[in-house]
Amino acid sequence: MADDLDFETGDAGASATFPMQCSALRKNGFVVLKGRPCKIVEMSTSKTGKHGHAKVHLVGIDIFTGKKYEDICPSTHNMDVPNIKRNGLPGKGRCPRLTKIWGAPVSFAEPLPRGGVCWAWLRGPPLALQLIGIQDGYLSLLQDSGDVREDLRLPEGDLGKEIEQKYDCGEEILITVLSAMTEEAAVAIKAMAK
Amino acid sequence: MMAAAVAAGGAPEVIAQLENAAKVLMQRTNYPETERMSSKRAIFLHLILKLHHLPWSIMNNASMLSTYSYHLENQNHHLLFASIFWQTLACSILTALLSEFSSSSKTSNIGLSMEFHGNCKRIFQEGDLRQIFMLTVEVLQEFSRRENLNAQMSSVFQRYLALANQVLSWNFLPPNLGRHYIAMFESSQNVMLKPTELWRETLLDIRVMELFFTVHRKIREDTDMAQDSLQCLAQLASLHGPVFPDEGSQVDYLAHFIEGLLNTVNGIEIEDSEAMGISSVFSNLITVFPRNVLTAIPNELFSSFVNCLTHLTCSFGRSAALEEVLDKDDMVYMEAYDKLLESWLTLVQDDKHFHKGFFTQHAVQVFNSYIQCHLAAPDGTRNLTANGVASREEEEISELQEDDRDQFSDQLASVGMLGRIAAEHCIPLLTSLLEDRVTRLHGQLQRHQQQLLASPGSGSIDNKVLDDLYEDIHWLILVTGYLLANDTQGETPLIPPEVMEYSIKHSTEVDINTTLQILGSPGEKASSIPGYNRTDSVIRLLSAILRVSEVESRAIRADLTHLLSPQMGKDIVWFLKRWAKTYLLVDEKLYDQISLPFNTAFGADTEGSQWIVGYLLEKVISNLAVWSSEQDLANDTVQLLVTLVERRERANLVIQCENWWNLAKQFARRSPPLHFLSSSVQRTLMKALVLGGFAHMDTDTKQQYWTEVLQPLQQRFLNVINQENFQQICQEEEVKQEITATLEALCGIAEATQIDNVAILFNFLMDFLTNCIGLMEVYKNTPETVNLIIEVFVEVAHKQICYLGESKAMNLYEACLTLLQVYSKNNLGRQRIDVTAEEDQYQDLLLIMELLTNLLSKEFIDFSDTDEVFRGHEPGQAANRSVSAADVVLYGVNLVLPLMSQDLLKFPSLCNQYYKLITFICEIFPEKIPQLPEDLFKSLMYSLELGMSSMSSEVCQLCLEALTPLAEQCAKAQETDSSLFLATRHFLKMVFDMLVLQKHNTEMTTAAGEAFYTLVCLHQAEYSELVETLLSSQQDPVIYQRLADAFNKLTASSTPPSLDRKQKMAFLKSLEEFMANVGGLLCVK
Repeated sequence: MADDLDFETGDAGASATFPMQCSALRKNGFVVLKGRPCKIVEMSTSKTGKHGHAKVHLVGIDIFTGKKYEDICPSTHNMDVPNIKRNGLPGKGRCPRLTKIWGAPVSFAEPLPRGGVCWAWLRGPPLALQLIGIQDGYLSLLQDSGDVREDLRLPEGDLGKEIEQKYDCGEEILITVLSAMTEEAAVAIKAMAK
Repeated sequence: MMAAAVAAGGAPEVIAQLENAAKVLMQRTNYPETERMSSKRAIFLHLILKLHHLPWSIMNNASMLSTYSYHLENQNHHLLFASIFWQTLACSILTALLSEFSSSSKTSNIGLSMEFHGNCKRIFQEGDLRQIFMLTVEVLQEFSRRENLNAQMSSVFQRYLALANQVLSWNFLPPNLGRHYIAMFESSQNVMLKPTELWRETLLDIRVMELFFTVHRKIREDTDMAQDSLQCLAQLASLHGPVFPDEGSQVDYLAHFIEGLLNTVNGIEIEDSEAMGISSVFSNLITVFPRNVLTAIPNELFSSFVNCLTHLTCSFGRSAALEEVLDKDDMVYMEAYDKLLESWLTLVQDDKHFHKGFFTQHAVQVFNSYIQCHLAAPDGTRNLTANGVASREEEEISELQEDDRDQFSDQLASVGMLGRIAAEHCIPLLTSLLEDRVTRLHGQLQRHQQQLLASPGSGSIDNKVLDDLYEDIHWLILVTGYLLANDTQGETPLIPPEVMEYSIKHSTEVDINTTLQILGSPGEKASSIPGYNRTDSVIRLLSAILRVSEVESRAIRADLTHLLSPQMGKDIVWFLKRWAKTYLLVDEKLYDQISLPFNTAFGADTEGSQWIVGYLLEKVISNLAVWSSEQDLANDTVQLLVTLVERRERANLVIQCENWWNLAKQFARRSPPLHFLSSSVQRTLMKALVLGGFAHMDTDTKQQYWTEVLQPLQQRFLNVINQENFQQICQEEEVKQEITATLEALCGIAEATQIDNVAILFNFLMDFLTNCIGLMEVYKNTPETVNLIIEVFVEVAHKQICYLGESKAMNLYEACLTLLQVYSKNNLGRQRIDVTAEEDQYQDLLLIMELLTNLLSKEFIDFSDTDEVFRGHEPGQAANRSVSAADVVLYGVNLVLPLMSQDLLKFPSLCNQYYKLITFICEIFPEKIPQLPEDLFKSLMYSLELGMSSMSSEVCQLCLEALTPLAEQCAKAQETDSSLFLATRHFLKMVFDMLVLQKHNTEMTTAAGEAFYTLVCLHQAEYSELVETLLSSQQDPVIYQRLADAFNKLTASSTPPSLDRKQKMAFLKSLEEFMANVGGLLCVK
């Protein structure tokens, strides 16, 4: 139950998108183009005539479908930026004091922990959820919390086939889940580290 | 007779004829049978061989060859027009001969040594080349006398003209080959005519230059031929060197030449195709002939010359403007105009040879015409064509398009210089033009506003009038900027003496108070201020630009930003920055004499300077708020801010402004509009804010300032990363932005480092660095964030390591080591074999190498005095040196070497950084190299070998520099079976071959020599063996002897070779002689 509460508070107030001035967008960042959440892969500016105002030319890739979208708009305009989440659910917060970095003892005595920093995240965020089953076109994923979620569709296309095939061969794989603007999908897989 | 034979015969006969012809040619040479003879024969036989391989043209070539000898035999008989066919063939073969001899790059590859080529070329240039030239001159003379040349004859004429051009563009080898043999390798681009003394009679003959003028006048309408004839004239205009026996002959030559030139150019309408050639002629005369020779020609002639130059400059300028309007692909006039403006700069820069004011009138004319071409009608002619105003369509301009101030910087620098020379005219002119435009712009914007108020949303406003005004103001600001101040890089910018003198000269007529009033009331029309004509003109010009700026600011306040031109906004802050650097708080100590108005208006401790600083700051703040969406403008604006605070005196004034504190607070809050700014602008803004913090303040104020500027940064950062669920939300856009903004700010802080603030900044940044390492882990799958984190380390190391004492440096090393460890862990097994990968995907690798290089740089540049700058900041602690630079760097190298593949070396930036790094390591830690793991050692050695054999000369030089310390290390260690010892033996052979056998770059001689000597010391027996082998392969006893002698001499001063400096220097000196003596002997093409 406590986990669920964390989930509620962690997500509270986060809207699907927030506005941002076009000039403040960055390559590799996200933006909504033609109603779709996209990752910006190209960004350039131009102007009409020497004394014209800057316009921004954006090229983005839909994070779910991989489709390419383009848009051009005055650089003063606000664009919507989607709130993107990886693997949807937050796990438990932990805050051990740091004595080790990635399992090896820190090679020098004192200096690292400073200012009461919480080093929990040194372990890194959960990058992917472990796939433990496929049922009726839905994935069963093991969450960091130990719970299993079963509401995510097996993606269509090559990625879906690859997941199925690897799962059938008994490979242990991890699935990266992205969510943005009420949509959620598995977007990548990788082999589980032994 | 020969012709008949050739015409009748088949291939075998042709060969026979060729040999015959060769004999004829050989017999004509009166030299004794020496090397000269044999070299000539070799070339000749080679030519025959070459012809042999071109079967389809055997006939023609054969005839040509015979024609050459035919010509040489019959040059005194005027049978020149006997046969067009013959003439053409003769000319072709002469051209081929010239190519063969002209430079090593054009020579065919037939296995002759460079020295041999050099000798042949020298013999050729003193003998046959001159004969060919005289022959050509005769033919041209014959042609120039003829009327009505038919097409065929024209074509022959053209060939000979091209041939003459080829001779005059000859890259003459100096008489004693000496170390200049290298000159042969140099490119044959833009060769100035510098023949030997033997050419004196030929080239100083006035009839020769007259002939070329005559020829040009005759054919100038033929586009192709005119190029050649003008090129010949340009070459003759560049004549210099031993060909002139004394100054008098140079003056005579120049006077005749200018006369001929003026006769040719004056009174004609220049053809498009002539523009470039004519400007080259002028440019060469002005560049090559010394000032005293220029002034020694008759006064009237010199005046006409300068008048003609003025006339042409103005006229080419107008044509260049026309080319721009018509959007021509080939901008011949623009190029010609550039060249003439550049010549003006050369001419007026050294003006003590001319009486004062000599160039003023000319300068006025050129300046006026430049302004005229850049202003719209009615004052100017911009966009005017013969048929009236060309309506240029609004074209799309990409961000890659260079700004005018950069694209035309050379033109603007010349025009600015001319404007200073004629300051009396130009400064008031610019002022009145600007003031007029300001009034018009103001009026126009008001009309727009009324229109908008009357019918809001009516939208369609014709912007033509505004755009024209903006473009006028744009150019006026650029010219003013270049006139009032110089481009300075690194040096203290000074007020140009002409401007200073001009202001001083009129200071007695000037009313200081009115001047200050003009300056301090940018919102009012200048002419509305009583007594406005009794003000300092330079200050009034500045105030005219402040008036432009004020109109802009008011339009923004009136919500008319959308009507303004960001380009003009950019011009304004660009100008203000340039002006502030040079004039604001003018330092009296730098000048002999200082203008009173300047000193009163913006000297130290004046109300004027305080007012201007406040005004500029307000401008900066307004721009950053309004123009955050215009990157370039925001960038120029923040650069102006840096200029205001980078000097302590100015910063002291800045921090007294309340606005400054507001800006600092606003930025720390990271709220709109400042956080809309692009990352690079934010970074520079942070830098400015930090620099400002080192102005003079009392302790409490300073404390307060840092609390406003730096503390919020830390607080925000800690708040974000200490959130319990940070690892879950770290990829959320808002969180990422917060992190990115912090990292950018850290880079900005590092950039602001100076010796007197490093203590504070280093301690502040160190706290962050450890936290950044944690971020590396969190963002390990977000390359752009990882790169930014590494960049923070790179910047800190770059800016601060040289000031850090031992214990502080160690702290930094430790942090870097941890960073590398995390990086290494995250890159373990990461595959990087994407063949389509672009360079920027390896940014992290590049940054890591940069970081390591920066850390190493402390060994070269170290300003630290064992934590002197930190004294008082913390109690002294005994440094227990747990991590050294070597540890960090070698760890880093262990990391980088396996990631660097040969493919990656194809990227220039990676390649250069990589070799810079490994050279540094070899130089600083040679003792660590043999301890490297075997595969790393091997790949390092292979890298060096690769760098020496197949990379750029820059890389090769780096590798050679790396060899010396390695060889020294071996000598010290005295382990003859170590792998490093064996490797150096291989390098000895490589360097030996490089020096003795290969075409080689003189810049590298020192590096190669040092490496060579150290390697020779180390492997004396192997060296002797190499020499022996080389000598024994020589069949020619003469060459054998020369080489043997040269090698003996080379080591004579350093036998037995030992690693002391004196011997090494002696060896390097001998090596230079060795290279000069036999360097070209074995280098075979």
